[in-house]
Amino acid sequence: MTRFLIRTFLWVLAASGLCAQQAPPTEVVLTATSSAKLVLAMAAPKVTGVSEATVGTEFTAVLKRDLDESGVIAVLQERLPADSAPVKAWKEAGAQWLLTVRLSKAASGDLQLEASAVDTGAEKGVFTRTYKADKIVPLRHIAHSLADDLVGRLTGDRGVASSRIVFVRGLGKGVKEIFQVDRDGAGLMQLTRHGALTLAPTVAQDGRLAYVTYKGGAPEVWGQRRLNGDHQKLYPTTSTGGMISMLSSPAWSPDGKRLAFVQGDRRGNADIMVLDLATGRARRLTDSTGINTEPSWNPNGTQLAFTSDREGGPQVFLMQDDGSNLRKLTQEGLYNASPAWSPNGAMVAYVSRFEGKFDLFIYKLGEGKAYQITTGVSTSESPAWSPDERRLVFTSNRFGSSQLFTTDLSGRQILRMSEMGDCQSPRWIRGR
Amino acid sequence: MRYGIYIVPAAIVLTLGSLACKPPKTAEQIKAETQTAFNEGYQAFKDGKARATNPYVNDKENPHKAQGWNDGWDKAAADKAAADKAAADAKAAADLKAAADRAAADKAAAEEAARKAAAAEKAAAFKRAAEAALKTIHFDFDKAEIKANDRALLQGIADFMKAFPTAKVEIEGHCDERGTNEYNLALGNKRAAGALAYLKTLGVDEARFTTISYGKERPLCTEAKEACWSLNRRGEFKLK
Repeated sequence: MTRFLIRTFLWVLAASGLCAQQAPPTEVVLTATSSAKLVLAMAAPKVTGVSEATVGTEFTAVLKRDLDESGVIAVLQERLPADSAPVKAWKEAGAQWLLTVRLSKAASGDLQLEASAVDTGAEKGVFTRTYKADKIVPLRHIAHSLADDLVGRLTGDRGVASSRIVFVRGLGKGVKEIFQVDRDGAGLMQLTRHGALTLAPTVAQDGRLAYVTYKGGAPEVWGQRRLNGDHQKLYPTTSTGGMISMLSSPAWSPDGKRLAFVQGDRRGNADIMVLDLATGRARRLTDSTGINTEPSWNPNGTQLAFTSDREGGPQVFLMQDDGSNLRKLTQEGLYNASPAWSPNGAMVAYVSRFEGKFDLFIYKLGEGKAYQITTGVSTSESPAWSPDERRLVFTSNRFGSSQLFTTDLSGRQILRMSEMGDCQSPRWIRGR
Repeated sequence: MRYGIYIVPAAIVLTLGSLACKPPKTAEQIKAETQTAFNEGYQAFKDGKARATNPYVNDKENPHKAQGWNDGWDKAAADKAAADKAAADAKAAADLKAAADRAAADKAAAEEAARKAAAAEKAAAFKRAAEAALKTIHFDFDKAEIKANDRALLQGIADFMKAFPTAKVEIEGHCDERGTNEYNLALGNKRAAGALAYLKTLGVDEARFTTISYGKERPLCTEAKEACWSLNRRGEFKLK
């Protein structure tokens, strides 16, 4: 019952947040159509009990944007036949799938959405699903679910329209806190309130948060031991007498049982450590004179990518989770950092300094080659993978202050997530 | 009556005869008796057997008043006078003590004030010296080495630490906005450690320093140009 109340309360919060803060309109900075995409046409929704205008902004526009950003579905926008036209007319207009949606609102306020899609070539149904939602669930979330299911039907992997971004936002006067926002830029929520420098969020697969905070003066690793549990100090477990001069960059292992992080000493060295949450013991993986930081786990938790300056400037290295089998990944450039291992394990995204600014690169482990994703005069930083591995979220100062953007892996479709400034260290996590 | 003429003369004869038999005491006898009585009393006094109490005095509260007569002694007045005198004596003593206390307190306060003033003066001098000595040093891009023209500043900090042996200082490492947040935190740590190592070579106990890195999280200036970046690549020294 308590759980239900809390959940209800959170939904109300989410809903009120939605009303208070309209998501900024989709801003396509760069866009390109891909011939590999499935072309989907959408007949105007048949609506009862909800105003057409609300459906237009809170459902149709949201669904179109979600599908467009999925990278596998293109929504047919032009020369649409009349809604009553036969399937054949839609096929001639260029649509491969035709989506019809029936949305009704009961007297109680509960919403029901019936969606079905027809393959216009074979003229047979490919997708049917009914969504029922409590009245406090925003229409926007139903659109996200439908988009995710359509992508799942097409690719076999559920889409990520319902996902969230967790990130750090500066609040001025040396205070930074951790926030979360829906992938479409709506539903901003503050997750920490330490009133101090709070950095480097990491979210476990099950949703547990960990981060570094300077609330006690010196940095400490804080986080949740249980799902929805209190935020508590995870490390250091005992008083260190000022011998730990730096803690940063926590990263949950894929199984959520270990936490990699970086510990700096008074000699200027920084080493990758792994904390076993069950025993409370931390083990040092690197032992070199110099900087080792930014650990990123591979998907099965057996290896870590990290940044090290052991050969001079920062470069990306890989090692086993016991510190063995060390090898250098990046071969070109004088400053390569911020590795992010992709969810399926085949790629490592990182940033490289090039002509005085930083750009995103992807190293494809199978090919042994690096590809540049972003170009331009501005700096792009802190790449993090979407759960479906189709996009990256990153920060860029292309409009002045550091803001959140996403890009597809070609770098041709870069979208600004929100207009909030002073954002850093985004992490992309599966939704609700 | 016929026998009277016989008896009366007989009685007279008997009486006179008896008188004639016991002669009166002589002056020597009386003198000796008196001397004996005096000696007995004196001996009793010497033996400590003299009477402790005056058998004529029954009023123990008022020894001046013997039975039947009063020498004019007024006990109430005497008591009052005694009480007044005791009170006056006590008051005088108290006054004397209070005066002494006050003098002592004044002296202590004066000493305390002097000490405070000295401490304040010392603290102010300490603060002035700290402000004069704890200057910010700067670094090159992606470097943690101490620059040649910052060596004099670090020597000043070492001198300050030697002049004030109780001073404790936190060394903060900072970076410019270029590069990743996490790498810059490690670089800031390296910069703080570089300053610490240099101060150690100047003979200051490293236990008197703590180090902390703020990476690029606390810039002094936020413009994307070299003048601003070089300001942000810094080591700060703060009293702890």
